[in-house]
Amino acid sequence: MPQPIITVTDLSFRYPGADQDSLRNVNLTIEAGDFVTVIGGNGSAKTTLCKTFNGLIPHYWHGEFAGSVHVAGVDTWDSSVTELSAHVGYVYQDFHNQLVRPTVRDEVAFGPVNYGLDDHEERTSSALETLGITELAQRFVWQLSGGQAHLTALASVLAQRPTVLIVDEPVAELDPERAAVIYERLATLNRELGITIITIEHHMEFVARYAKSVILMADGTPAWHLPIEEAITRTGELEAHGIPAPQSINAVKALGISATPRTTEDAVAAIRASGKKPSVHWSGIAHLATQEPNRDVVARAVNVTHGYKSVSGETHMVLNNVNVDLHDGDRVALVGGNGAGKSTLMKLLAGIIVPREGTVWLGETNSRSKASPHLAEHAAYLYQHPELMLLKGSVAEDVALFPKDRKHPDTDALVAHILDRVRLTDFADRDGRTLSGGQQRRATLAIGLAMRPTVLLLDEPTSSLDVSSRDDVTHMLADLAGSIRCTVVATHDMQLVAEWANRVIVLSEGGIIADCHPRELFGSPQVLERAHLTAPEIVRIGNALGVAPVPLSVAELAAAYHGDGPPPVPTATAQTSALGV
Amino acid sequence: MTSTYERRGELRGTMDENLELNTSQKLMIFVLSMSLFGLSNVILEIIPDVSIGPVDISVAYFVFVPLVMVALFSPFWAALGAPIGEVIFTDLLMGDFSGLAEIEGIIQMFLALYIAGTLMRNPRSKAQIWIGAITVVVIDKFLSAAVDLSKVWIGVEDAEFVEGLPQSILLLEGIGFGVDIIISGILFGAIPAMWLIPALYGKIEPLLGMRPRQPGDKVNGGAQSVWFVVSAVFLSIAAFFFAFLEAWDVEVGVIDSDLREQYGDTFLLVSVAGIIVLLTLVWLISRRTQRRSASPSKD
Amino acid sequence: MRKHHDVLSVEWVKLELIRTAYATRGGLFSTMDPRMVVMWYLVLAIVPWFTHNLTVLAGLFVLGCISVGLARVGPLLLGLFVFGLIVETFYVFIAAWLFGGDTQTVIALVELTLKLGAVSLASMAAFVSLDPEKLSDAMLAFRMPQMITFGVSYGYRMLPILIEQFATVFEGYRLRSAPVENKGFLGWRMITQWCRLTVLSFYPIFLNTAKSVRTTVESLEARGFTYAAVDGRGRQIRLAYLRLTAKDWAVMAVTLALIAGVFWFGAQFPLYR
Repeated sequence: MPQPIITVTDLSFRYPGADQDSLRNVNLTIEAGDFVTVIGGNGSAKTTLCKTFNGLIPHYWHGEFAGSVHVAGVDTWDSSVTELSAHVGYVYQDFHNQLVRPTVRDEVAFGPVNYGLDDHEERTSSALETLGITELAQRFVWQLSGGQAHLTALASVLAQRPTVLIVDEPVAELDPERAAVIYERLATLNRELGITIITIEHHMEFVARYAKSVILMADGTPAWHLPIEEAITRTGELEAHGIPAPQSINAVKALGISATPRTTEDAVAAIRASGKKPSVHWSGIAHLATQEPNRDVVARAVNVTHGYKSVSGETHMVLNNVNVDLHDGDRVALVGGNGAGKSTLMKLLAGIIVPREGTVWLGETNSRSKASPHLAEHAAYLYQHPELMLLKGSVAEDVALFPKDRKHPDTDALVAHILDRVRLTDFADRDGRTLSGGQQRRATLAIGLAMRPTVLLLDEPTSSLDVSSRDDVTHMLADLAGSIRCTVVATHDMQLVAEWANRVIVLSEGGIIADCHPRELFGSPQVLERAHLTAPEIVRIGNALGVAPVPLSVAELAAAYHGDGPPPVPTATAQTSALGV
Repeated sequence: MTSTYERRGELRGTMDENLELNTSQKLMIFVLSMSLFGLSNVILEIIPDVSIGPVDISVAYFVFVPLVMVALFSPFWAALGAPIGEVIFTDLLMGDFSGLAEIEGIIQMFLALYIAGTLMRNPRSKAQIWIGAITVVVIDKFLSAAVDLSKVWIGVEDAEFVEGLPQSILLLEGIGFGVDIIISGILFGAIPAMWLIPALYGKIEPLLGMRPRQPGDKVNGGAQSVWFVVSAVFLSIAAFFFAFLEAWDVEVGVIDSDLREQYGDTFLLVSVAGIIVLLTLVWLISRRTQRRSASPSKD
Repeated sequence: MRKHHDVLSVEWVKLELIRTAYATRGGLFSTMDPRMVVMWYLVLAIVPWFTHNLTVLAGLFVLGCISVGLARVGPLLLGLFVFGLIVETFYVFIAAWLFGGDTQTVIALVELTLKLGAVSLASMAAFVSLDPEKLSDAMLAFRMPQMITFGVSYGYRMLPILIEQFATVFEGYRLRSAPVENKGFLGWRMITQWCRLTVLSFYPIFLNTAKSVRTTVESLEARGFTYAAVDGRGRQIRLAYLRLTAKDWAVMAVTLALIAGVFWFGAQFPLYR
């Protein structure tokens, strides 16, 4: 019989200055050796709950604290953060900020050295080894990639030998491939060292694959805490809380098979076992690019080469002799691993930077000939992190900044119209920073729309969003066609690529290795592998089952199997008419 | 569901009504102040300095950055963080550390910011923001002038008898002083702070889990002993300055009366008046804090 | 025509940091115990203030120059430093001359310059050889407050991130503001806009930094930062690697002997104003 490691009894908590409780009568037991995932929509107090486990609440955040939390038999109220840190390790969502020492080894040794532990060296080495980052020990923290930095943060809490490890949304700041590496390591820690793992997660794909039990948070309290096998069958309830089931489950369900596969492979096996076969009438043709070839070019890069001076002094080339034309009506997804040059290409196409060699044309203008603020009227670039775009005290002011400064005659009407379009009218006077993740993305989108550009370029518009906010942003992007002639999105989100884009450009090793329709890309495993891309689950299922052309959505898979007429039109092509900004 | 919600657990901790900062809050203020002032100095480092002859007309520092910190948070920790951030970010990390001279800088800036912060009781009062910004530059530059002068005084034998030396040092310091008040104190001090402090008031404090400073709050973060240290350091430096002026005063009397002397006299009068005003302020404030701490509201 | 620039970017700051971090110049002082280097500096920084003898001061100045050479500071840097010193002195002299100064004044200025120069040379030799981490360990050893030593490593770590944030915010502000059409005399309109945007950019930077500082301090707390301030063991472990070797003592002894020599020489051939 497993022992409970964390027991929460009638816990309520209110932040200082808040007008209602964030946590409400939480009762919860987490058993030693469990791999728990906490899910729930944005703002359901998942992070707040986890901060009560290591004593940050109430010892660091002094609010109204009622009830009790026991960790390894210790009442957190009577304990201290210091004492609890020996039991509970915490890796933050913004883990970059928890790294405080210059080198990786120093960082990992920081905790044990502070506590004056005699075996600090051994702890440091074993933490590095367990996570397979011994070779990074002498590196400077700022030289690390996102994935390496996350592993370093993990190692630094692991060096304190906790029995419970909390990881807050590893997928938020990492691409899915690197997040999968983190999850694999966590699973190993859980299996081999018996460490209780608690993660906060939005992506059911990871939950289904790695978790042993699931806590669904809603309105500051757990709706339920169930073993994974049972949790994933509650698709309706999850959907109601803004957490759609993973595609593997939806795919099986859509084909009328009663199974709850936890992985892609399980789903494929279940469909195979059902004996169903794709219809011979499936063509998927309705979705292939059917655009006329001679459309206007709105932006063009000719023989562009660009790079940065690296720490060693030589110039590191990010893009090498790249040529690309962007046309009217393109919905381009720019994909490729971290460091493949996506952001650089976007900034070049927006005229924010100019290439070392080659030329970028924005319409008829050479980007070298005008200052970037002029070019911003043609091409608008939206940064990945909304907090870097929210420069003013309110959303309305932020949206108005561009048109007002350039003396647009009808700024007020324009701003009102755009806010209405992104459904933020009610939040117009709020500070953008106080909005939820999804609302912040919509606010940045509004900023871009207010610039009324010909080309809109967005960097990772769906990262760190829960699934329903993500879908929201995807729909909004699809709606842009009426006002923006060409939209470019740099992304790791392959589901966005599959559902939204009509053209995908794959960057790898400084060049374009594919420029085609997403369906074509997802049908070529060798390109995907070369660019370190993982296709959406549904595509992997389709490929494994030999469905060709490969389905890009669950609906398409269903259509391929039922063969009754053309598949439903995806949202991206459904256009509304009220778009004339 | 929301309407029927009622706490079941026994309430164990309530909102912190007392204003004593805990260690982590002090640390947050310190680190924030350090990072921001450090950053602002690195940015200044990037801009080339403009100087006309011996007179540097570049921006000495972005006074508004630490001024916002001391106005919105506990002045003690904010004032301590800022100069340390400057030394660490621009001197140590950029390989330009100069040993003992840095300590002078830290003490000057700390005193300047701390005194300005304690003077600003109401973060939303424009007048107090102006007073604060000017105070920072005046005290900082005054102390640095005092240190420079004392270096000459100690460094050169009978400096006061060297023809023209004290006057020229004073002249150069004086011009630099005026330029800094206008550029650092007003253009990059009071004016930006007048906009930034109200803009951030009530927004930034909750991010650190604190309550916004209210006009009547007692200045916390530093015990009364801090005031003792502050006054002692300040007085000793002031005494040094006085001593220098005294020595020089003899010299002034000997010079023929002309424009130079008038200039010197005015400067002398202004300096002495300034120091007296400052000392009185320090005395008044320390008395007020003491009385407050002695009042029965605090046990 | 716009061109690509490598300076003023995040990469540039990282480059600068690494340059200081590795302190690859080598040289005598970089192989010494940082505590001894600091002591050595203190000796050379204080001694010049105890004499008005120009001979002694010149000797100390030469000693400073030799140390800088031993620290492998390039002749260019040294030359620039000396040049700066001369220019500064020249300005003061011009001002003094306006007030009726004479050769006496010049000599007094030479004395002051030699003194300040000798101190600066010592600090240059010492601190160019110590990377920030070593220096902070030395400060920890001298029982300076833990906050300062923490500040060093934290600044080290955060500076690139802060610069990147600032650069992004500033760039975004510039793109979203109206371009300056007429640059004005000496480009003053450009400069004004630049200053305005710099100040405005601090609003989001304040809020964003406050948010990230919260995470940092929470994590510090959980990893025993305040615990270490009370409990001395952490400090001992951090400083365990520091060893005073024969070389350290030898350098100190030689320096003291040389200083004594300089004073003796100065007493033989005194030169006063």
